[in-house]
Amino acid sequence: MSLTSPLFFLFLVFTLLIYFTLPRRYQWFVLLAASYLFYATGGIKLTFCLLLTTITTFFAGLLLTRLEKKNHKKLVLALVLLFNFGLLAFLKYYNFAAAGLNIFLANAGYTLPTFSLLLPLGISFYTFQSAGYLIDLYRGKYRAETNLAKFALFVSFFPQVIQGPISRFDQLAPQLTAPHDLDYDRLKYGIQLMLWGYFKKIIIADRAVVVVNKVIDNFAAYPGSLIAIAVFFYCLQIYCDFSGGIDIVRGAAQMLGINLRENFRRPYFATSLADFWRRWHLSLGDWMRDYLFFPLSLSKPFYKLGKKTRKLFKGKLGKIIPTSLASFIVFFTIGIWHGANLKYIAFGIYNGLIISFSIVIEPYWNRLLQKLGINPEGRFWLVVQVLNTNLLVFCGRYFTRAASLGAALQMLKKTFFSFQPNAVSVQALLNLGLTKTDYLIVLLGSLVILGVGFAQEKGKAIRKTLEQKNWAVQWSLLMAMLLVLVFFGIYRQGFIASEFIYQQF
Amino acid sequence: MEAKVLSILAELNSDVDFSAETNLIDDDILDSFDIITLVGELNDTFEIEIGPQHLLPENFNTVAAIINLIKKLQAGG
Amino acid sequence: MMTSKQWLRMFLFSLILIALLICVFNYVTDPFGVFGDHFFQWYSFNFTKNPRVAKIAYLDRLHEQYDSYIIGSSSSSSFSVELLNEYLDARFFNLFMYGAYIADVTKTVQYIAEHYEVKNLVLNLGVVNAQKYDKGSDLLTDILHARTEGSSLLKFYGKYLFANPAYGLEKIQSFKRDQYLPQNFDVFQVTTGAYDKSLRDIERIQALPDYYEKYPVFLNYPQREYELDYLDDFIASVAEIKNLCEEKNINLVVIFFPLYSEHARYYNPEQVEELYTRLAAITPFWDFSLHRLSTDPRFFYDETHFRNALGDMALAKIFGDENKYFPQDFGVCVTPANAREQAAKYKTEYIFDDSNYTVEVPVLMYHHLAQTSDGPLIVSKEQFAAQIEALAEAGYTSVSLQQLVDYVEKGKELPPKPVVITFDDGYASNYEIAYPILKEYGMKATIFPIGSLIGKNTYKNTPHAIYPHFDYRQAREMAASGLIEIQSHSYDMHQSQKYEGETARVAMQPLPGESEEAFIAAVRADFARSRRELEAQIGKPVFALAYPLGKYSDLTEVILNQMEVKVTLTTEPGINTLIKGLPQSLRALKRINVDENTTAEKLLQKLGR
Repeated sequence: MSLTSPLFFLFLVFTLLIYFTLPRRYQWFVLLAASYLFYATGGIKLTFCLLLTTITTFFAGLLLTRLEKKNHKKLVLALVLLFNFGLLAFLKYYNFAAAGLNIFLANAGYTLPTFSLLLPLGISFYTFQSAGYLIDLYRGKYRAETNLAKFALFVSFFPQVIQGPISRFDQLAPQLTAPHDLDYDRLKYGIQLMLWGYFKKIIIADRAVVVVNKVIDNFAAYPGSLIAIAVFFYCLQIYCDFSGGIDIVRGAAQMLGINLRENFRRPYFATSLADFWRRWHLSLGDWMRDYLFFPLSLSKPFYKLGKKTRKLFKGKLGKIIPTSLASFIVFFTIGIWHGANLKYIAFGIYNGLIISFSIVIEPYWNRLLQKLGINPEGRFWLVVQVLNTNLLVFCGRYFTRAASLGAALQMLKKTFFSFQPNAVSVQALLNLGLTKTDYLIVLLGSLVILGVGFAQEKGKAIRKTLEQKNWAVQWSLLMAMLLVLVFFGIYRQGFIASEFIYQQF
Repeated sequence: MEAKVLSILAELNSDVDFSAETNLIDDDILDSFDIITLVGELNDTFEIEIGPQHLLPENFNTVAAIINLIKKLQAGG
Repeated sequence: MMTSKQWLRMFLFSLILIALLICVFNYVTDPFGVFGDHFFQWYSFNFTKNPRVAKIAYLDRLHEQYDSYIIGSSSSSSFSVELLNEYLDARFFNLFMYGAYIADVTKTVQYIAEHYEVKNLVLNLGVVNAQKYDKGSDLLTDILHARTEGSSLLKFYGKYLFANPAYGLEKIQSFKRDQYLPQNFDVFQVTTGAYDKSLRDIERIQALPDYYEKYPVFLNYPQREYELDYLDDFIASVAEIKNLCEEKNINLVVIFFPLYSEHARYYNPEQVEELYTRLAAITPFWDFSLHRLSTDPRFFYDETHFRNALGDMALAKIFGDENKYFPQDFGVCVTPANAREQAAKYKTEYIFDDSNYTVEVPVLMYHHLAQTSDGPLIVSKEQFAAQIEALAEAGYTSVSLQQLVDYVEKGKELPPKPVVITFDDGYASNYEIAYPILKEYGMKATIFPIGSLIGKNTYKNTPHAIYPHFDYRQAREMAASGLIEIQSHSYDMHQSQKYEGETARVAMQPLPGESEEAFIAAVRADFARSRRELEAQIGKPVFALAYPLGKYSDLTEVILNQMEVKVTLTTEPGINTLIKGLPQSLRALKRINVDENTTAEKLLQKLGR
C-alpha cells in the first residue's frame, strides 16, 4: 500500500475512527492490528520475516536482561544480531554476491543459483530499529519489554515501517502503548504535515522523476549539460520523495497522538558534507553514530591506532586519523546499506573520503582563510560553503542514480568533459517529458520549499505563525494547497488528449 | 578537575566558552568527531574507560555533566 | 484566529467542496457523453473520446432511429451506412469502436440484441481478431459502458464523475476551436456513427509515387509475425454472435475486411487455414481480405485500414450492384466447401499491377480565342486548328468528363490515348471559333462558363465592355451536338477586381474577415445557382466545376463533394492518373495550359510525357 494511494488514505481514516472510538486501553491493540494489516497488504509471506525478527529480538531482549555474565550477554547479542543482519544481507545481497562469485566460479565449472528474492517491505528499517533495541539493552540503557504484542507494535508500527524514521525504543514504545485522547491540535498538525509531504512527493518528486528517468536511463544520448540537469532533478526528486514520505508518515502518526522523530533538517542548507549527513536521514545517521561509529572509535584497536598516529603526526592530523577511519567505515556501511551494487560502495567511499579529508585539511583551510582576510563565520563564506556542499552532494548523486558504477563514471565524464551548454534549449527541455507548466510547477514548488526551509532555518515556526492569521487567510492557503494537490497532483495523470486517442485510423 | 576538562575542551574549539554552555551536544557544538577526541583525552588524562554506552547527550551537554561522569567512572560505577 | 476544531471543520468542508466542484464540472462538460451531454450536445467529441461508452449512451436514448448495425474495429467505418440502407432497405448505425477487440464486440452485440431492435448486423472481422482478444484496459478512454459490460453502474458513473477535469477542459477548449472540417477531437459523424471522412474523401489520389510521398509508411512496411493465440476465443465469440442472431432473427452478414498485402504476411498460413475452416463451419463469410487490389496502397490509409472506395466495392459485390465498378474476382463467399482453398490466398504472392484499372488522362485548358492572336493567352483560330489537327493525327481521342466519371465509377473503358479539351469562362469565341473546328474533327470538349456572365458583352450590369460571352441558345446548340459539355466555373465567384473594387470575390476563397460559416453558405448558394441555371437552360446534369483561377482548398472540395460535384479542375500543370473505383482520382484534376505559343509540336511534347 503506497503512501500516495487512495487506499492508504481510506485505511488511515478507518484506523483513526476505530482508534478514537474504542476504549483507550485497547488503542495500542488497534495500532498493532492496523500495522499488521497494513504490512500484510504488501504480501502475507513477507510478514513472516517481520515476525521472525520481532520474535528473535524479543526473546533475546528478555534473555539479555536476565543474564548476569558479560560474556554470555555478548554471545546472545552477537548471535541474534548476526541472525537478523544475516537475514537482511541474504535477502538483499545474495544475488549480487552470487553473481559476483559466479564470475570466478565459472572457471571451476560451478555456478551458484540466483533466486528471485522478494525483499520484505522496510526490512532494513525494522532490522535496524530492532538491533538498536538489543544493543541498548546490552548497554543497560533500559529494561526489556516483557509483552510480545507491545514489542511487535514497536517493530511494525504502520506509518513508519516502510521507510522510517528509525526510532528508539525508549522514545517510541511508551507513546505507542499509552492511551491517547482525540486532540484537535494534533489532528490538525498531522493533516498539515501530511499535506506538506504530499506536496513534496506528488507535485515535485513525481514530476522531477520524469526528467531523471528519461535522461539517465539513456544517458548516452544526452550531452553533459542535460545529464547534469537530470542529476539536479534527481537531487530534487530524492529529497522531495524521501522527506515528503517521512512527512506523511510523521503526520499520520501525529494524528494518532504519536510523535516520531525528525528525519530531515533542511539538508540543502548544510555547510559541509559532514553537516549534510547530520541533516539528511537523521535517524539512520544517529543510528550509525551510536551503534557503529562510537563503539568502533572507542574500541581497543582504534585506541591503539590513535596512540600510534599521535606519535607519528603532530597536531590535529594525528588525533583525527582513527576517527576518520571509523567514519570511513560508517560511510562504507551506509553505502552497502543502500543496496547491493558497486555504485553504492563507491558512493560510501566518495563521502567517507571527502569528509575525512576535509577534517584533515580544516586547520590549513582556516589558516588560508585568515591570510585571505575571509571571515570563516561571515555570510559570504557561509554561502560559499553551502554551495560547495550542494555541489559535492550533487556529484555524489551520480553514483546513487546511475544504473551502475560504470554508468556513473561515464555520466560524470560527460558532465565534466563534454558539457555542451548550447544543447540546453527550451525545446530540449520540453523533449524530456515535462511540459512548460510542469517545469513552472517544479520551479515554484521548489521555491516554496526553499522559502519555508529558510524561515525554519531562521527559527520561525511556520504553522504557529499561520495559526494566528484570520480564517480567510487560512482558508485561502488550505484551498490553494488542496487545489494544487488535486489538479497538479492527483489529476496529473490519467488524461489522454484526443490527438493521442484518434491516431489517423 | 574542572580546569583540566576545560583546557581539553578549549583545545577542541577555542572559540567557545564551554563553562557557560549547557547544551554542548544538542546544540551541535560538539560533533561526533569532537566527542571521540574528547573521550580519548579524558580516558588518558583521568585514567578511566568511557565506553559507547556512556556516550549519551546527558553525559556531555555541560562541563558539570562531564565531571560527574568522570567521578562516577573513577568511583568504579 | 481559529481553533483547531474549526480548522478541521474547514478542512472537511474544503474537501467536500472540491469533490463537489469536480463532479459538477464533469457532469456539465460530460466529455465522454455518459450523462447525456445536456449542455454541449457535442456527440462527435464524445464518440471520439471513447466510442464504446459514448455510442451506447447515445443509442440508449436514440436507438429507435435505427434498426441495423455495423460493428467491428475502426476499419468498419469504411462500410457506407448510406449504401447499406439502400441495399437492405434499413436504417443503419455504424457502431464500430476503434481498437475494438473481439471481446468488446461480442459484449456490445449481446447488449444491442437484448435492448434494441436489430434487423441486420454487419460484423466486420479480420484474421487480426484472433491475434488479440481483450485489451483489458480500465482507462476511461478504453472501457465499455457498464450497461454493455454488465458491471456496476455506480462505479461506472463514479469513475466519470471524478474523471480528470482535463477532459472537460479539453472539450471546452476544443469547442472554441471547432471548425466545419473534422479535427482530431471530433472525427465522427453523429447520425451514422461512422468517421467523418469528408476530408479523406477529397484527397486527390492519382499516381503511385505521389501517394508514397504522402504516405511514406507504405514504402517500407515493418515486418512482423503474428500468432493467432486467441483463435479459440475468437471462434467461440463468433459462434455466440451467430447463435444470438439466429435466436433473435437478425440477418447477420460477416465480412473479412480488405487487407494491405504486406500485412497478410504477418500471419502463419496454416493458422489462417484453421481459422477459415473453423469459422466457415459456423457461418459463411464474405472474404475481401486478399486480392490484386491489396497490393495497391492507394486503396488504404495504412496496413489495416482500407479506404471507403474498397468498402463500397465490397458492398456492391455482396449485394450485386450492377451500377458500381468492382473487379469481378473481388470478394468470395467462404463456406466449408471452399474455406481451405480461400485460406491458401495467404500463401500467394500478389504482384502489383495497376495496368487494367488505371489510365493516364491529360486535360488541356483554353480560355479565349480570336481570329488573330492579341497576346499569348488568346489563341488564334489558325493555331487552334493546327493544335486540334495534331491531336487527331497523333491518335488522341477526346473524351468528356462524363466518360471520366463512368470510367472511375462504373469501370467503362476509355478509348486509347484519351484527352480532355476544356475552355474556361465561356467566351463567345468558344462558340464562334473553336466549336466549328472541333466539329470538323469530331472532337469533344468541356466548357466552363461563369454563370453571371453568360450572354454578356459588358461586365454584369455595368457598361464596362468585356470579351463577349456566349448565350444560352448557343450553349444549348453546342450541347445538343453531343460534342460539347457545359459545366460550372461558379456562378459569380470569378469577379473582376477592376469593376467591383477591393471587395470582389475573384476566386472561390473567403473574403478578408469573412467567417467560415458565411463562406460555406456563399459557396453553397453560388454553386447551387450555377447548377440550377445551367441544368434548367441546357437540360444536362452539372457534376463538374473548374475552380476560378484554379484556387481551391480542402474546405471548398469538401463542400462541393457534399453537393455531389464529382470532378473538380485546377490549373496545376500535369497529367492525371484515373483509378477505377477510386472517386478521389477525379478531384482537383491537373490541366495543361495551351496558349498561342503552344505549337502543335510543343503540344504533342507536353502530352507525350
